[in-house]
Amino acid sequence: MVTYREDGSSEVQLGQTRVMGIVTAQLVQPYRDRPKEGMLSIFTEFSPMADPSFEPGRPGELAVELGRIIDRGLRESRAVDTESLCILAGKFVWAVRIDIHILDNGGNLVDAANIAALAALLTFRRPECSLGGEDGQEVIVHPPEIREPLPLMVHHLPIAITFGFFSNESILLIDPTHNEEAVMNGRMTTTVNANGDICAIQKGGGEGVPQRVIMQCLQLATSKAASITKQIKDAVEAFNTERALRKIKRHPTSTGVDVREKQNQYTCNIPVSLEHFKSKTEVVITRTRKHYPLNMAA
Amino acid sequence: MEVDREDGRSQNQLRPLACSSNILHRAHGSASWSQGDTKVLAAVYGPKAGTKKNENPEKACIEVIWKPKTGQIGKLEKEYEMILKRTLQSICILTVNPNTTTSVIIQVVNDDGALLPSAINAACMALVDAGIPMRHLAVSICCCVARSGLVILDPTKLEEQNMKAFAYLVFPNSVHSVLPEGSLSVQGEPIENGIITSVTHGVMSVDDYFYCLEQGRAASTKLSDFLRRNLQQQSTDSSKAG
Repeated sequence: MVTYREDGSSEVQLGQTRVMGIVTAQLVQPYRDRPKEGMLSIFTEFSPMADPSFEPGRPGELAVELGRIIDRGLRESRAVDTESLCILAGKFVWAVRIDIHILDNGGNLVDAANIAALAALLTFRRPECSLGGEDGQEVIVHPPEIREPLPLMVHHLPIAITFGFFSNESILLIDPTHNEEAVMNGRMTTTVNANGDICAIQKGGGEGVPQRVIMQCLQLATSKAASITKQIKDAVEAFNTERALRKIKRHPTSTGVDVREKQNQYTCNIPVSLEHFKSKTEVVITRTRKHYPLNMAA
Repeated sequence: MEVDREDGRSQNQLRPLACSSNILHRAHGSASWSQGDTKVLAAVYGPKAGTKKNENPEKACIEVIWKPKTGQIGKLEKEYEMILKRTLQSICILTVNPNTTTSVIIQVVNDDGALLPSAINAACMALVDAGIPMRHLAVSICCCVARSGLVILDPTKLEEQNMKAFAYLVFPNSVHSVLPEGSLSVQGEPIENGIITSVTHGVMSVDDYFYCLEQGRAASTKLSDFLRRNLQQQSTDSSKAG
Protein backbone atom coordinates (compact mmCIF):
# COMPACT_ATOMS: atom_id res chain seq x y z
CA MET A 1 0.00 0.00 0.00
CA VAL A 2 1.48 3.27 -1.03
CA THR A 3 0.58 6.56 0.65
CA TYR A 4 0.78 9.65 -1.46
CA ARG A 5 2.15 12.88 -0.14
CA GLU A 6 -0.28 15.00 -2.09
CA ASP A 7 -2.38 16.65 0.48
CA GLY A 8 -4.88 19.39 0.91
CA SER A 9 -4.68 21.21 4.17
CA SER A 10 -6.62 24.07 5.62
CA GLU A 11 -6.59 26.14 8.74
CA VAL A 12 -9.74 27.79 10.02
CA GLN A 13 -9.97 30.57 12.57
CA LEU A 14 -13.45 31.15 13.98
CA GLY A 15 -13.16 33.85 16.63
CA GLN A 16 -10.73 32.30 19.11
CA THR A 17 -11.20 28.78 17.87
CA ARG A 18 -8.52 27.43 15.55
CA VAL A 19 -8.74 24.14 13.68
CA MET A 20 -6.48 22.53 11.09
CA GLY A 21 -7.70 19.95 8.59
CA ILE A 22 -5.45 17.63 6.55
CA VAL A 23 -6.59 15.30 3.78
CA THR A 24 -4.54 12.35 2.52
CA ALA A 25 -5.40 9.40 0.34
CA GLN A 26 -4.24 5.84 -0.02
CA LEU A 27 -4.97 3.06 -2.46
CA VAL A 28 -6.64 0.17 -0.69
CA GLN A 29 -8.87 -2.78 -1.30
CA PRO A 30 -12.55 -1.88 -1.06
CA TYR A 31 -15.05 -3.46 1.31
CA ARG A 32 -16.52 -6.74 0.03
CA ASP A 33 -20.08 -5.49 -0.04
CA ARG A 34 -19.17 -2.22 -1.74
CA PRO A 35 -16.65 -3.06 -4.42
CA LYS A 36 -17.21 0.05 -6.47
CA GLU A 37 -17.02 2.70 -3.80
CA GLY A 38 -14.10 4.50 -2.26
CA MET A 39 -13.80 5.18 1.44
CA LEU A 40 -13.94 8.33 3.50
CA SER A 41 -12.80 8.37 7.10
CA ILE A 42 -12.50 11.16 9.60
CA PHE A 43 -10.07 11.23 12.49
CA THR A 44 -10.45 13.92 15.09
CA GLU A 45 -7.60 14.81 17.38
CA PHE A 46 -8.49 16.84 20.39
CA SER A 47 -4.95 18.00 20.95
CA PRO A 48 -4.07 18.91 24.53
CA MET A 49 -2.81 22.12 22.92
CA ALA A 50 -6.35 23.37 22.56
CA ASP A 51 -7.57 23.15 26.12
CA PRO A 52 -5.93 22.20 29.39
CA SER A 53 -8.68 19.71 30.06
CA PHE A 54 -8.06 17.67 26.89
CA GLU A 55 -6.12 14.54 27.70
CA PRO A 56 -3.80 12.93 25.17
CA GLY A 57 -4.53 9.37 24.10
CA ARG A 58 -7.90 7.90 23.27
CA PRO A 59 -10.50 10.33 21.97
CA GLY A 60 -13.12 11.26 24.55
CA GLU A 61 -16.85 11.39 23.88
CA LEU A 62 -16.73 14.96 22.60
CA ALA A 63 -14.14 14.03 20.02
CA VAL A 64 -16.12 11.01 18.90
CA GLU A 65 -19.34 13.02 18.67
CA LEU A 66 -17.64 15.70 16.62
CA GLY A 67 -16.19 13.14 14.27
CA ARG A 68 -19.57 11.47 13.85
CA ILE A 69 -21.41 14.72 13.14
CA ILE A 70 -18.95 15.67 10.41
CA ASP A 71 -18.93 12.16 9.06
CA ARG A 72 -22.70 12.04 8.80
CA GLY A 73 -22.79 15.40 7.09
CA LEU A 74 -20.31 14.28 4.44
CA ARG A 75 -20.99 10.63 3.93
CA GLU A 76 -24.72 10.20 4.17
CA SER A 77 -25.59 13.33 2.28
CA ARG A 78 -23.25 12.10 -0.43
CA ALA A 79 -21.38 15.36 -0.49
CA VAL A 80 -18.23 13.58 -1.62
CA ASP A 81 -18.74 11.25 -4.54
CA THR A 82 -17.27 7.94 -3.42
CA GLU A 83 -17.92 6.16 -6.68
CA SER A 84 -15.50 8.41 -8.48
CA LEU A 85 -12.82 7.14 -6.10
CA CYS A 86 -12.98 3.66 -7.55
CA ILE A 87 -10.10 2.73 -9.86
CA LEU A 88 -10.50 -0.99 -10.32
CA ALA A 89 -13.72 -2.45 -8.97
CA GLY A 90 -13.11 -4.95 -6.23
CA LYS A 91 -9.36 -4.40 -6.16
CA PHE A 92 -8.24 -0.79 -5.84
CA VAL A 93 -10.08 2.22 -4.54
CA TRP A 94 -8.95 5.44 -2.94
CA ALA A 95 -9.44 5.73 0.81
CA VAL A 96 -9.58 9.40 1.71
CA ARG A 97 -8.58 10.21 5.25
CA ILE A 98 -9.39 13.54 6.88
CA ASP A 99 -7.41 14.43 9.99
CA ILE A 100 -8.81 17.23 12.08
CA HIS A 101 -6.47 18.82 14.61
CA ILE A 102 -8.00 21.17 17.14
CA LEU A 103 -5.40 23.78 17.94
CA ASP A 104 -7.30 26.26 20.08
CA ASN A 105 -10.62 25.75 21.80
CA GLY A 106 -12.57 28.98 21.81
CA GLY A 107 -15.91 27.23 21.61
CA ASN A 108 -18.02 25.75 18.84
CA LEU A 109 -15.49 23.20 17.66
CA VAL A 110 -18.03 21.37 15.50
CA ASP A 111 -18.63 24.25 13.11
CA ALA A 112 -14.97 25.15 12.79
CA ALA A 113 -13.92 21.53 12.26
CA ASN A 114 -16.60 21.07 9.63
CA ILE A 115 -15.41 24.10 7.69
CA ALA A 116 -11.79 22.92 7.98
CA ALA A 117 -12.74 19.50 6.61
CA LEU A 118 -14.66 21.00 3.69
CA ALA A 119 -11.93 23.47 2.80
CA ALA A 120 -9.29 20.75 2.89
CA LEU A 121 -11.40 18.43 0.73
CA LEU A 122 -11.94 21.13 -1.86
CA THR A 123 -8.23 21.80 -2.24
CA PHE A 124 -7.09 18.20 -2.10
CA ARG A 125 -5.72 16.71 -5.32
CA ARG A 126 -5.28 13.01 -5.79
CA PRO A 127 -2.76 11.62 -8.26
CA GLU A 128 -4.09 10.42 -11.55
CA CYS A 129 -3.79 6.73 -12.20
CA SER A 130 -4.43 4.44 -15.08
CA LEU A 131 -4.78 0.75 -15.59
CA GLY A 132 -1.90 -1.09 -17.12
CA GLY A 133 -0.01 -4.31 -17.01
CA GLU A 134 -0.66 -7.35 -19.15
CA ASP A 135 -4.27 -7.94 -18.33
CA GLY A 136 -5.20 -4.42 -17.33
CA GLN A 137 -5.21 -5.44 -13.68
CA GLU A 138 -2.34 -3.30 -12.47
CA VAL A 139 -2.75 0.27 -11.37
CA ILE A 140 -0.07 2.75 -12.32
CA VAL A 141 -0.05 5.91 -10.26
CA HIS A 142 1.36 8.92 -12.05
CA PRO A 143 3.48 11.32 -10.02
CA PRO A 144 2.27 14.91 -10.00
CA GLU A 145 5.03 16.20 -12.28
CA ILE A 146 4.00 13.89 -15.10
CA ARG A 147 0.24 14.18 -14.90
CA GLU A 148 -1.80 16.85 -13.24
CA PRO A 149 -3.49 15.50 -10.09
CA LEU A 150 -7.27 15.54 -9.94
CA PRO A 151 -9.61 17.19 -7.46
CA LEU A 152 -12.28 15.25 -5.59
CA MET A 153 -15.87 15.39 -6.77
CA VAL A 154 -17.73 17.35 -4.15
CA HIS A 155 -21.40 17.82 -4.96
CA HIS A 156 -22.42 20.24 -2.27
CA LEU A 157 -21.06 21.67 0.96
CA PRO A 158 -22.86 20.67 4.16
CA ILE A 159 -22.27 23.40 6.73
CA ALA A 160 -22.76 22.70 10.41
CA ILE A 161 -24.26 25.46 12.55
CA THR A 162 -24.51 25.08 16.29
CA PHE A 163 -27.05 26.74 18.55
CA GLY A 164 -27.04 27.04 22.31
CA PHE A 165 -30.15 27.22 24.45
CA PHE A 166 -30.59 28.96 27.73
CA SER A 167 -33.94 28.01 29.13
CA ASN A 168 -33.99 30.40 32.11
CA GLU A 169 -33.96 33.46 29.96
CA SER A 170 -35.39 31.71 26.91
CA ILE A 171 -32.45 32.79 24.83
CA LEU A 172 -31.16 31.16 21.71
CA LEU A 173 -27.57 31.75 20.66
CA ILE A 174 -25.81 30.92 17.45
CA ASP A 175 -22.13 29.92 17.49
CA PRO A 176 -21.44 29.78 21.25
CA THR A 177 -18.00 30.65 22.64
CA HIS A 178 -16.55 28.33 25.20
CA ASN A 179 -17.61 30.49 28.12
CA GLU A 180 -21.17 30.31 26.84
CA GLU A 181 -20.86 26.58 26.28
CA ALA A 182 -19.93 26.10 29.91
CA VAL A 183 -23.18 27.63 31.13
CA MET A 184 -25.71 26.79 28.46
CA ASN A 185 -28.45 24.28 29.09
CA GLY A 186 -28.75 22.62 25.72
CA ARG A 187 -27.17 22.58 22.30
CA MET A 188 -28.20 21.61 18.83
CA THR A 189 -26.14 21.25 15.68
CA THR A 190 -27.83 21.45 12.30
CA THR A 191 -25.99 20.60 9.12
CA VAL A 192 -27.54 22.29 6.12
CA ASN A 193 -26.29 23.17 2.68
CA ALA A 194 -26.76 26.23 0.54
CA ASN A 195 -29.57 24.56 -1.41
CA GLY A 196 -31.68 24.44 1.71
CA ASP A 197 -31.36 20.68 2.26
CA ILE A 198 -31.02 19.49 5.81
CA CYS A 199 -28.13 17.03 5.92
CA ALA A 200 -28.15 16.25 9.64
CA ILE A 201 -29.47 17.45 12.95
CA GLN A 202 -27.86 16.52 16.21
CA LYS A 203 -29.42 17.33 19.54
CA GLY A 204 -28.04 15.17 22.30
CA GLY A 205 -29.83 15.65 25.58
CA GLY A 206 -29.90 18.94 27.43
CA GLU A 207 -33.02 21.03 27.89
CA GLY A 208 -36.08 20.25 25.87
CA VAL A 209 -37.02 22.98 23.40
CA PRO A 210 -40.35 23.59 21.72
CA GLN A 211 -40.84 22.65 18.09
CA ARG A 212 -41.25 26.26 17.07
CA VAL A 213 -37.73 27.01 18.23
CA ILE A 214 -36.33 24.15 16.18
CA MET A 215 -37.97 25.52 13.06
CA GLN A 216 -36.55 28.95 13.81
CA CYS A 217 -33.08 27.46 14.18
CA LEU A 218 -33.38 25.70 10.85
CA GLN A 219 -34.35 28.89 9.11
CA LEU A 220 -31.47 30.80 10.65
CA ALA A 221 -29.10 28.01 9.76
CA THR A 222 -30.14 27.99 6.12
CA SER A 223 -29.51 31.70 5.77
CA LYS A 224 -26.10 31.44 7.45
CA ALA A 225 -25.10 28.43 5.40
CA ALA A 226 -25.36 30.38 2.18
CA SER A 227 -22.96 33.07 3.35
CA ILE A 228 -20.47 30.58 4.77
CA THR A 229 -20.52 28.51 1.59
CA LYS A 230 -19.69 31.61 -0.37
CA GLN A 231 -16.78 32.43 1.90
CA ILE A 232 -15.34 28.94 1.62
CA LYS A 233 -15.63 28.99 -2.13
CA ASP A 234 -13.96 32.40 -2.37
CA ALA A 235 -11.05 31.23 -0.26
CA VAL A 236 -10.64 28.09 -2.38
CA GLU A 237 -10.76 30.18 -5.57
CA ALA A 238 -8.07 32.50 -4.27
CA PHE A 239 -5.93 29.51 -3.39
CA ASN A 240 -6.42 27.87 -6.79
CA THR A 241 -5.36 30.99 -8.65
CA GLU A 242 -2.31 31.27 -6.44
CA ARG A 243 -1.40 27.66 -7.14
CA ALA A 244 -1.84 28.12 -10.88
CA LEU A 245 0.46 31.12 -10.76
CA ARG A 246 3.03 29.12 -8.85
CA LYS A 247 3.00 26.50 -11.56
CA ILE A 248 3.65 29.06 -14.23
CA LYS A 249 6.75 30.11 -12.35
CA ARG A 250 8.09 26.60 -12.76
CA HIS A 251 9.74 27.48 -16.05
CA PRO A 252 13.53 27.82 -15.83
CA THR A 253 13.84 31.59 -15.58
CA SER A 254 13.48 31.69 -11.81
CA THR A 255 16.40 30.17 -9.95
CA GLY A 256 15.63 28.58 -6.67
CA VAL A 257 12.91 30.95 -5.59
CA ASP A 258 10.12 28.49 -5.11
CA VAL A 259 11.27 25.13 -3.97
CA ARG A 260 7.78 23.78 -3.61
CA GLU A 261 7.04 22.66 -7.14
CA LYS A 262 10.03 20.43 -7.32
CA GLN A 263 8.90 18.28 -4.48
CA ASN A 264 6.11 15.83 -4.36
CA GLN A 265 3.79 17.72 -2.20
CA TYR A 266 1.51 20.63 -2.59
CA THR A 267 0.57 22.12 0.70
CA CYS A 268 -2.26 24.52 0.63
CA ASN A 269 -2.85 26.95 3.42
CA ILE A 270 -6.08 28.76 3.29
CA PRO A 271 -6.44 31.21 6.08
CA VAL A 272 -10.18 31.37 6.28
CA SER A 273 -11.13 33.85 8.89
CA LEU A 274 -14.80 34.07 9.39
CA GLU A 275 -14.82 36.91 11.82
CA HIS A 276 -18.24 38.16 10.97
CA PHE A 277 -19.79 34.77 11.42
CA LYS A 278 -19.15 35.30 15.06
CA SER A 279 -21.86 37.91 15.28
CA LYS A 280 -24.41 36.39 17.54
CA THR A 281 -28.01 36.47 16.65
CA GLU A 282 -29.84 36.82 19.88
CA VAL A 283 -33.39 35.80 19.54
CA VAL A 284 -35.53 36.51 22.54
CA ILE A 285 -38.41 34.10 22.66
CA THR A 286 -41.31 34.87 24.90
CA ARG A 287 -44.04 32.34 25.33
CA THR A 288 -47.30 33.27 23.64
CA ARG A 289 -49.33 31.83 26.50
CA LYS A 290 -48.50 34.90 28.50
CA HIS A 291 -49.98 37.13 25.84
CA TYR A 292 -46.71 38.89 25.09
CA PRO A 293 -45.84 39.45 21.47
CA LEU A 294 -43.02 37.41 20.03
CA ASN A 295 -39.96 39.65 19.91
CA MET A 296 -37.33 38.81 17.42
CA ALA A 297 -34.24 40.99 17.51
CA ALA A 298 -32.06 39.70 14.72
CA MET B 1 33.81 20.90 -3.87
CA GLU B 2 30.70 22.89 -4.51
CA VAL B 3 27.44 21.08 -4.27
CA ASP B 4 24.37 22.14 -6.19
CA ARG B 5 21.46 22.32 -3.82
CA GLU B 6 17.99 22.21 -5.27
CA ASP B 7 16.94 25.61 -4.05
CA GLY B 8 20.23 27.30 -4.91
CA ARG B 9 21.53 27.67 -1.36
CA SER B 10 25.19 27.31 -0.54
CA GLN B 11 26.23 24.58 1.86
CA ASN B 12 26.13 26.82 4.91
CA GLN B 13 23.00 28.73 4.15
CA LEU B 14 19.89 28.31 6.23
CA ARG B 15 16.38 28.48 4.85
CA PRO B 16 14.30 31.58 5.53
CA LEU B 17 13.19 31.59 9.17
CA ALA B 18 9.89 32.85 10.47
CA CYS B 19 8.48 32.71 13.93
CA SER B 20 5.69 34.23 15.92
CA SER B 21 4.54 33.77 19.46
CA ASN B 22 1.39 34.14 21.49
CA ILE B 23 -0.79 32.85 18.68
CA LEU B 24 -3.16 30.62 20.67
CA HIS B 25 -5.66 31.96 23.17
CA ARG B 26 -6.14 29.09 25.60
CA ALA B 27 -2.52 27.99 25.90
CA HIS B 28 -0.35 29.76 28.45
CA GLY B 29 2.43 30.10 25.91
CA SER B 30 2.53 29.33 22.23
CA ALA B 31 4.86 29.79 19.29
CA SER B 32 5.11 28.85 15.68
CA TRP B 33 8.45 28.29 13.98
CA SER B 34 9.09 27.74 10.32
CA GLN B 35 12.31 27.03 8.45
CA GLY B 36 11.51 27.16 4.77
CA ASP B 37 8.53 24.83 4.35
CA THR B 38 8.91 23.00 7.65
CA LYS B 39 6.44 24.47 10.10
CA VAL B 40 5.87 23.50 13.72
CA LEU B 41 3.43 24.84 16.31
CA ALA B 42 4.23 24.56 20.01
CA ALA B 43 1.99 25.22 23.01
CA VAL B 44 2.87 25.26 26.70
CA TYR B 45 0.57 24.77 29.64
CA GLY B 46 1.98 25.12 33.07
CA PRO B 47 2.98 24.89 35.73
CA LYS B 48 0.16 22.55 36.74
CA ALA B 49 -0.09 20.94 40.13
CA GLY B 50 1.40 17.53 40.78
CA THR B 51 3.97 15.45 39.01
CA LYS B 52 3.60 12.21 37.07
CA LYS B 53 4.01 8.88 38.77
CA ASN B 54 7.70 8.11 38.39
CA GLU B 55 8.92 11.66 38.51
CA ASN B 56 10.82 13.34 41.32
CA PRO B 57 8.39 15.51 43.31
CA GLU B 58 11.17 17.77 44.52
CA LYS B 59 11.65 19.15 41.05
CA ALA B 60 9.41 20.48 38.32
CA CYS B 61 8.52 17.96 35.67
CA ILE B 62 8.28 18.57 31.94
CA GLU B 63 5.91 16.54 29.83
CA VAL B 64 6.13 16.56 26.03
CA ILE B 65 3.38 15.49 23.65
CA TRP B 66 4.24 15.23 19.98
CA LYS B 67 1.40 15.28 17.49
CA PRO B 68 2.29 14.22 13.93
CA LYS B 69 0.56 15.74 10.95
CA THR B 70 -1.32 12.60 10.04
CA GLY B 71 -1.36 8.99 11.14
CA GLN B 72 -0.95 7.11 14.37
CA ILE B 73 1.53 7.93 17.08
CA GLY B 74 4.40 5.49 16.80
CA LYS B 75 7.90 4.90 18.04
CA LEU B 76 9.38 7.80 16.12
CA GLU B 77 7.06 10.25 17.86
CA LYS B 78 7.89 8.73 21.23
CA GLU B 79 11.58 9.13 20.49
CA TYR B 80 11.13 12.78 19.58
CA GLU B 81 9.17 13.31 22.78
CA MET B 82 11.97 11.82 24.85
CA ILE B 83 14.71 13.87 23.16
CA LEU B 84 12.72 17.06 23.50
CA LYS B 85 11.95 16.32 27.15
CA ARG B 86 15.60 15.75 28.05
CA THR B 87 16.70 18.86 26.16
CA LEU B 88 14.11 21.05 27.82
CA GLN B 89 14.86 19.61 31.25
CA SER B 90 18.43 20.75 30.92
CA ILE B 91 17.57 24.33 30.06
CA CYS B 92 14.71 24.94 32.48
CA ILE B 93 15.37 25.75 36.10
CA LEU B 94 13.56 22.84 37.69
CA THR B 95 14.01 23.81 41.29
CA VAL B 96 11.88 26.97 41.11
CA ASN B 97 8.48 25.27 41.06
CA PRO B 98 8.81 21.84 42.65
CA ASN B 99 6.04 19.29 42.38
CA THR B 100 4.53 20.82 39.25
CA THR B 101 4.18 19.65 35.67
CA THR B 102 4.66 21.80 32.60
CA SER B 103 3.19 20.34 29.41
CA VAL B 104 4.69 21.12 26.04
CA ILE B 105 2.62 20.10 23.05
CA ILE B 106 4.15 20.05 19.58
CA GLN B 107 1.98 19.92 16.47
CA VAL B 108 3.66 19.28 13.12
CA VAL B 109 2.03 21.49 10.51
CA ASN B 110 4.38 20.59 7.70
CA ASP B 111 7.48 18.44 7.51
CA ASP B 112 10.11 19.41 4.96
CA GLY B 113 13.32 18.30 6.64
CA ALA B 114 14.95 19.40 9.95
CA LEU B 115 11.76 18.68 11.86
CA LEU B 116 13.21 18.02 15.31
CA PRO B 117 15.39 21.16 15.32
CA SER B 118 12.40 23.29 14.33
CA ALA B 119 10.37 21.70 17.11
CA ILE B 120 13.06 22.42 19.70
CA ASN B 121 13.26 26.05 18.59
CA ALA B 122 9.49 26.40 18.67
CA ALA B 123 9.28 24.79 22.11
CA CYS B 124 11.88 27.24 23.46
CA MET B 125 9.96 30.23 22.19
CA ALA B 126 6.73 28.88 23.60
CA LEU B 127 8.34 28.37 27.02
CA VAL B 128 9.52 31.99 26.97
CA ASP B 129 6.03 33.09 26.00
CA ALA B 130 4.60 31.16 28.94
CA GLY B 131 7.11 32.62 31.36
CA ILE B 132 8.66 29.35 32.49
CA PRO B 133 11.98 30.05 34.26
CA MET B 134 14.97 29.00 32.16
CA ARG B 135 18.73 29.29 32.46
CA HIS B 136 19.26 30.12 28.84
CA LEU B 137 17.62 29.30 25.53
CA ALA B 138 18.49 26.51 23.18
CA VAL B 139 18.97 26.81 19.45
CA SER B 140 18.92 23.78 17.28
CA ILE B 141 20.27 23.00 13.85
CA CYS B 142 20.54 20.03 11.54
CA CYS B 143 23.80 19.23 9.76
CA CYS B 144 24.26 16.46 7.33
CA VAL B 145 27.10 14.71 5.57
CA ALA B 146 26.58 14.04 1.89
CA ARG B 147 27.83 10.96 0.10
CA SER B 148 30.61 13.09 -1.38
CA GLY B 149 31.82 13.99 2.10
CA LEU B 150 30.51 17.54 2.05
CA VAL B 151 28.79 18.92 5.13
CA ILE B 152 25.66 20.96 4.54
CA LEU B 153 23.29 22.72 6.90
CA ASP B 154 19.50 22.72 7.20
CA PRO B 155 18.53 20.09 4.63
CA THR B 156 15.12 19.77 3.04
CA LYS B 157 13.33 16.43 3.16
CA LEU B 158 14.64 15.33 -0.23
CA GLU B 159 18.18 16.25 0.72
CA GLU B 160 17.87 14.43 4.04
CA GLN B 161 16.88 11.25 2.29
CA ASN B 162 19.91 11.33 0.04
CA MET B 163 22.44 11.97 2.74
CA LYS B 164 24.93 9.53 4.15
CA ALA B 165 24.39 10.72 7.69
CA PHE B 166 22.86 13.64 9.53
CA ALA B 167 22.97 15.08 13.01
CA TYR B 168 20.56 17.19 15.02
CA LEU B 169 22.52 19.50 17.30
CA VAL B 170 21.30 21.72 20.08
CA PHE B 171 23.48 24.50 21.48
CA PRO B 172 22.80 26.99 24.25
CA ASN B 173 22.23 30.41 22.79
CA SER B 174 24.89 33.05 22.91
CA VAL B 175 24.69 35.16 26.00
CA HIS B 176 24.77 38.93 26.25
CA SER B 177 25.27 39.63 29.87
CA VAL B 178 26.05 42.37 32.37
CA LEU B 179 27.96 39.90 34.47
CA PRO B 180 31.76 39.82 34.23
CA GLU B 181 33.34 37.51 31.66
CA GLY B 182 34.59 34.87 34.01
CA SER B 183 31.27 33.76 35.40
CA LEU B 184 29.91 32.72 32.03
CA SER B 185 32.54 30.29 31.04
CA VAL B 186 32.99 26.73 32.02
CA GLN B 187 36.62 25.67 32.34
CA GLY B 188 37.90 28.47 30.21
CA GLU B 189 35.45 28.04 27.33
CA PRO B 190 32.50 30.37 26.81
CA ILE B 191 29.19 28.75 27.67
CA GLU B 192 27.87 28.80 24.15
CA ASN B 193 30.50 26.42 22.95
CA GLY B 194 28.85 23.68 24.94
CA ILE B 195 26.45 21.28 23.34
CA ILE B 196 23.18 20.26 24.91
CA THR B 197 21.92 17.53 22.62
CA SER B 198 23.28 15.63 19.67
CA VAL B 199 21.33 12.97 17.79
CA THR B 200 22.92 11.33 14.80
CA HIS B 201 21.58 9.05 12.10
CA GLY B 202 23.80 7.13 9.76
CA VAL B 203 27.52 6.61 9.70
CA MET B 204 30.03 9.45 9.69
CA SER B 205 33.70 9.71 10.54
CA VAL B 206 34.90 11.45 13.69
CA ASP B 207 36.42 14.31 11.67
CA ASP B 208 33.15 14.81 9.84
CA TYR B 209 31.32 14.93 13.14
CA PHE B 210 33.62 17.58 14.58
CA TYR B 211 33.32 19.56 11.39
CA CYS B 212 29.52 19.36 11.70
CA LEU B 213 29.80 20.65 15.25
CA GLU B 214 31.83 23.65 14.12
CA GLN B 215 29.45 24.50 11.31
CA GLY B 216 26.51 24.01 13.61
CA ARG B 217 27.95 26.27 16.24
CA ALA B 218 28.58 29.03 13.72
CA ALA B 219 25.02 28.76 12.46
CA SER B 220 23.67 28.72 15.99
CA THR B 221 25.01 32.22 16.64
CA LYS B 222 22.97 33.44 13.70
CA LEU B 223 19.93 31.62 15.01
CA SER B 224 20.49 33.05 18.50
CA ASP B 225 20.53 36.56 17.07
CA PHE B 226 17.34 35.93 15.18
CA LEU B 227 15.66 34.55 18.29
CA ARG B 228 16.83 37.45 20.43
CA ARG B 229 15.65 40.05 17.92
CA ASN B 230 12.28 38.41 17.72
CA LEU B 231 11.80 38.15 21.47
CA GLN B 232 12.89 41.72 22.04
CA GLN B 233 10.51 42.93 19.40
CA GLN B 234 7.68 40.98 20.92
CA SER B 235 8.35 42.23 24.40
CA THR B 236 8.26 45.84 23.19
CA ASP B 237 5.05 45.13 21.26
CA SER B 238 3.34 43.63 24.26
CA SER B 239 4.48 46.43 26.55
CA LYS B 240 2.87 48.89 24.18
CA ALA B 241 -0.31 46.86 24.17
CA GLY B 242 -0.35 46.49 27.94
